[in-house]
Amino acid sequence: MAGFEPKIVGFLCNWCSYTGADLAGTSRIKYAANLRVIRTMCSARIDPTFILKALLEGADGVLICGCHPGDCHYVEGNYKAMRRYPLLKRLLDDYGIENERVQLEWVSASEGKRFAEVVDNMTEQIKALGPCKVRTSLAFDMAER
Amino acid sequence: MENHKIGVYVCNCGTNINKVVDCESVASHALDQPGVVCAKSYKYMCSNPGQEMIIKDIKEQGLNRVVISACSPRMHETTFRGALSKAGINPYFLEMANIREQCSWVHTDLRAATDKAMDLTRGAVRRVVHHEALEKRFVDMCPVTLVLGGGITGMSAALELAESGNLVYLVEKTGALGGNLARVDLTAPYLDSARDLIRERILRVKANPNITVFLDSRLDTLDGYVGNFKTMIQTPTGEKVPVDVGSVVVATGYKPFDPTPVKAFGYGTNPDVITSFEFEKMLRSGNIVTSKGKPPRYVTIIHCVGSRSEEFHPYCSRVCCMTALKYGQEVKSALPEAFVYDLYIDMHAFGKGCEDFYKQASTIRTIFLMYQKNTSPQLLPAGPKDDCGMLLRVDDRLCGEEVDIPTDLVVLMVGMEAREDSAEVARLVNISRDRDGWFIESHPKLDPVATTTEGVYIAGCCQSPKDINESVAQARAASARIMAKIAKGRLEVDAVFAEVTQDDCSGCRVCNDLCPYSAIEFDPDARKSSVISAKCKACGACVTACPSAAIKGRHFTDEQIFAQIEGVL
Repeated sequence: MAGFEPKIVGFLCNWCSYTGADLAGTSRIKYAANLRVIRTMCSARIDPTFILKALLEGADGVLICGCHPGDCHYVEGNYKAMRRYPLLKRLLDDYGIENERVQLEWVSASEGKRFAEVVDNMTEQIKALGPCKVRTSLAFDMAER
Repeated sequence: MENHKIGVYVCNCGTNINKVVDCESVASHALDQPGVVCAKSYKYMCSNPGQEMIIKDIKEQGLNRVVISACSPRMHETTFRGALSKAGINPYFLEMANIREQCSWVHTDLRAATDKAMDLTRGAVRRVVHHEALEKRFVDMCPVTLVLGGGITGMSAALELAESGNLVYLVEKTGALGGNLARVDLTAPYLDSARDLIRERILRVKANPNITVFLDSRLDTLDGYVGNFKTMIQTPTGEKVPVDVGSVVVATGYKPFDPTPVKAFGYGTNPDVITSFEFEKMLRSGNIVTSKGKPPRYVTIIHCVGSRSEEFHPYCSRVCCMTALKYGQEVKSALPEAFVYDLYIDMHAFGKGCEDFYKQASTIRTIFLMYQKNTSPQLLPAGPKDDCGMLLRVDDRLCGEEVDIPTDLVVLMVGMEAREDSAEVARLVNISRDRDGWFIESHPKLDPVATTTEGVYIAGCCQSPKDINESVAQARAASARIMAKIAKGRLEVDAVFAEVTQDDCSGCRVCNDLCPYSAIEFDPDARKSSVISAKCKACGACVTACPSAAIKGRHFTDEQIFAQIEGVL
């Protein structure tokens, strides 16, 4: 789809990924401007409802970022996020949302470059998928009833 | 329903933001949002006039919520919270939109960056409406400090604290104080004796009744939080000694690079190829000899072994260049007839006295050759007519030719690397490491000895390679930070933590085991869980896991995050 600029909502943990994103900034590493970041203290706080809410509000993709396994500021919060993630993916399939629209990536505080790559890759993938239709299809379902 | 009056402040950060983001447009867009009564774009919001403008608006226009679109909240959230307090409103009525680190600095397209800045600002506006006034929380500050590592850094930190009347537990993994410096002869660039430096510290540490030294010991566990850490120290007898401390200084130092994997030099098989630390041992004993027991006629020093290399460590180890020059001086003074070859990639003579030291090296006729980064001089056997044990073939960039230099003894300037146990130490005290294994500081420029765990400080080479004076400066900086906290007696800590709405709690206890800090207790009579706020570190794991939605994560509530999601889209 030509000219399609997706909106991606990113949920980043404060200690690793948000800091890594800041590092990309201080290092002046350029990446796609499609991500809108929301900070949480830990990836364990990222409630699956946040992700569904974002998709229903019109996000074309949702990126979840936390500390690498074994390196969580809160010892093991990222494992909690990691365990929720496959369940949510399955739920997305059931809802008819392409599950690639939601991605989980580990980004440490020192990985500014990696953060930029993650955002660029995801933006490309979501561009290829096109706009998320869940909002319109849901509105249609409601109208049908 | 509270009547919200929101002020939005869009910082230009000189041209840092304004160059890529149209700040005026962001401000006028914000003004169209519900609840926003004033929106301004200004050169530097963090400056005094910037903050005074915000304070004046809060007072005169009765603002009760403030959004600042500027740098990362990790940079200036505390600054602006202070401004809100000064203006007489609760500091948690602030939300920042990160339009510098995560917008203007990473994008080039003016339109896309401005759109993104508007979205982020809108998210903050929608979120801040749901912010609640949070009260300050105070905890006691235990005036005792745990110092990990008994090298020059750890001892300097311990002395600084102890001599101001504070108790210190100094834990050293090996059987002796002194660390790596205890293996060094003289120091660059003033040729002071390392032995003197170390001995002075060790004597003072041992004589100070405020310092308890644990040798052959290690930290076993660390729980708690700033001002109130509970630790266990494992002693050589296997005994675990409980120690309560308020702060921790991590000064675990570095490990010298092992050059065995560098094939070109044959280290480990050729006895006349030695590391800088092995050479220090010779210098200390005053006996510079080859494997045949004779004084060498030719000594070759090779820089950057394991450092500044694609294959091993990409970083510069900082101290080796000046140490190499020092070897030139020491060889010439012990063996005036010897020739010293110095093979370097680039000569890093930064810092006080170092450029003079470099100049001095040429007066004693050290012969300098420059080799190419990511190449290696090759060691060859000497011919029958040569008056030396070996030859080193160097592609010398200064004369542009390949030359064979005679040598009897090769000294490899091995760099510094993170210790093998750095991951374990990082986990124990809950700090992060960078890709090379060095511990990460809170802010590289403004907060170089603090870490992301409040009350835990890092100093010396465990943070990155540095020389003695820098390590000692960091040790004393960390001590000063700790003493400032001790002087206050009580600490104000973040008012952000989780709380259980008792009426909604079903007593299922799902949260009890999830908490990494055992901060949730269960009342078996009432069959309800509750959070011990002082122990809670606000990760929010329990908030998300609670099946009854009975746990509220202050300042990161569902309502606040939902509103922000709506705002950014």
